[in-house]
Amino acid sequence: MGPLPRTLELFYDVLSPYSWLAFEVLCRYKNIWNVSLQLRPTLIAGIMKDSGNQPPALLPRKALYVKNDVRLLGQYLQVPIHLPKDFFFVIFEKGSLTAMRFLTIVKLEHPELLEKVSRELWMRVWSRDEDITEPQSILAAAEKAGMSTGRARELLERVSTPQVKNQLKETTDAACKYGTSIDVQPSTAAQ
Amino acid sequence: MGPLPRTLELFYDVLSPYSWLAFEVLCRYKNIWNVSLQLRPTLIAGIMKDSGNQPPALLPRKALYVKNDVRLLGQYLQVPIHLPKDFFFVIFEKGSLTAMRFLTIVKLEHPELLEKVSRELWMRVWSRDEDITEPQSILAAAEKAGMSTGRARELLERVSTPQVKNQLKETTDAACKYGAFGLPVTVAHLDDETYMLFGSDRMELLAHLLGKLQVHAELPLTPPLRDISCPEGWIQSKKKNVLGPSSNGASYRHRCA
Repeated sequence: MGPLPRTLELFYDVLSPYSWLAFEVLCRYKNIWNVSLQLRPTLIAGIMKDSGNQPPALLPRKALYVKNDVRLLGQYLQVPIHLPKDFFFVIFEKGSLTAMRFLTIVKLEHPELLEKVSRELWMRVWSRDEDITEPQSILAAAEKAGMSTGRARELLERVSTPQVKNQLKETTDAACKYGTSIDVQPSTAAQ
Repeated sequence: MGPLPRTLELFYDVLSPYSWLAFEVLCRYKNIWNVSLQLRPTLIAGIMKDSGNQPPALLPRKALYVKNDVRLLGQYLQVPIHLPKDFFFVIFEKGSLTAMRFLTIVKLEHPELLEKVSRELWMRVWSRDEDITEPQSILAAAEKAGMSTGRARELLERVSTPQVKNQLKETTDAACKYGAFGLPVTVAHLDDETYMLFGSDRMELLAHLLGKLQVHAELPLTPPLRDISCPEGWIQSKKKNVLGPSSNGASYRHRCA
C-alpha cells in the first residue's frame, strides 16, 4: 500500500472566479498527487470584513486587470469562465450568501455531492451569467449536480437555520485564523 | 535563421521582492524562449500614487502572508531572498528613489550593465539586509556589477538631473498606461496582441502565451494544468486554437475522463 494521502483544505466562495480556477486545478490533481482534498465553503464577504481588506475590483485598475486575467487564465486552464455582463452588480449587490449556506448544508448532509453542486453554481454565475441568489436558481444547480428536486428543496429550507449559519461562520473563521497564525521563521543569515 | 525574437518589457523596482523573482525567472528564460527582454526601471511609489493602490504590507494579514510567500518562493525559485530585519522601515521609510534613478541612468549610459547592477541592488536590500539609499551603497553595488568606481561616481552625480528624473517618470507613466497598479509588470508583445501580466506568478501563463510551455512525451508527475482530465464538454475543439495564432509547434494532448 502506498503512502497515506496528505490533506489539502480549499476555502472557497462561488462568487470568486479565482476560487473556481483553484478548485478545478485541485480537483484535477488530487488523485495524481495523492492528496485528500477537503472542500470548505466559505463566505468571502466575511473574510473581507474580518481582515479589513477590500475586494480588488473596487480599485479601477485592478477591476480592469482582473477581467482580463480571469479570461486569459480561463482559456489557459480550460475552465469556461465568461464575465457576467454586470460584473459589479453580481459581485457587490447580489453576492453569494444563500449559495454558500446551501453548499454548507450540502457538505453536512451530502458531502459526496459538494464538488458537483459547487461546480454547477460556478457554471451559473461565472460561465452562463445566470442568477445564484434565488431559490429556483439554487435548486436548478443542485438538480444538475444529480440531487433530487425534493431533497434539494428540503436542504434549501434549512439554509437559514442556526446550525447552517453557524457552520458557515465557523469555516469562515477558520480561514481567517489561517491568515493570522502563520509562524514567520527567522531568516537565516546569507551565506 | 529562426523567427525574430518577440519583446517582453519588465517594469520593476528593486524595492519590490516580487520584482526580483520575476526578474530572475525572465533572465533565465529569455534565451530559451528567444525573447528580447527590455528591463525598465520604474518607481513603485509612483505606481501606487497614480493608481490609488496601497502596498499590500499595509494590511496586517497581507504583511504576514507576503513574508512567508516571499521566503517560500525564494526557496522554490532558488533566489536568495532573506527578509530585512525591519521590513516596514526598509519599504516605507527608506524607499528606493535614488536607486531607481541610478538604474535609470545606467540604462541610458550602460544598458549592458543594467541587469547586473539591478541584481546587485536586490542582493543588498533583499538578501543581505544592506542599505541601498546612501551614495556609498549604490557605488558598492555598481562596482560589484563591474563598473569602475570613477564611472559609477559620475553617473551617481547625475541622478538628480532633469534628464534622469524625467526618464524615470516617463517609464513609470508608461507602466501606468499599461494599467499597472503595482510591480512587477511584464508586458508581452506578441504578433497581434499585447498582454500585461502582473506579479511573479504568471510565468506559466506567459510561457503558454508564447507557445513555449513544454509538454512531455510521457506523463510527468505534474502534467501542465491544461492537460489533465476535466469535466466533459469543456475542452474546446482541437481544430481551433482558442488563443489565436498557432503556438510554435507545441501540441497538447487533451484528455477528458
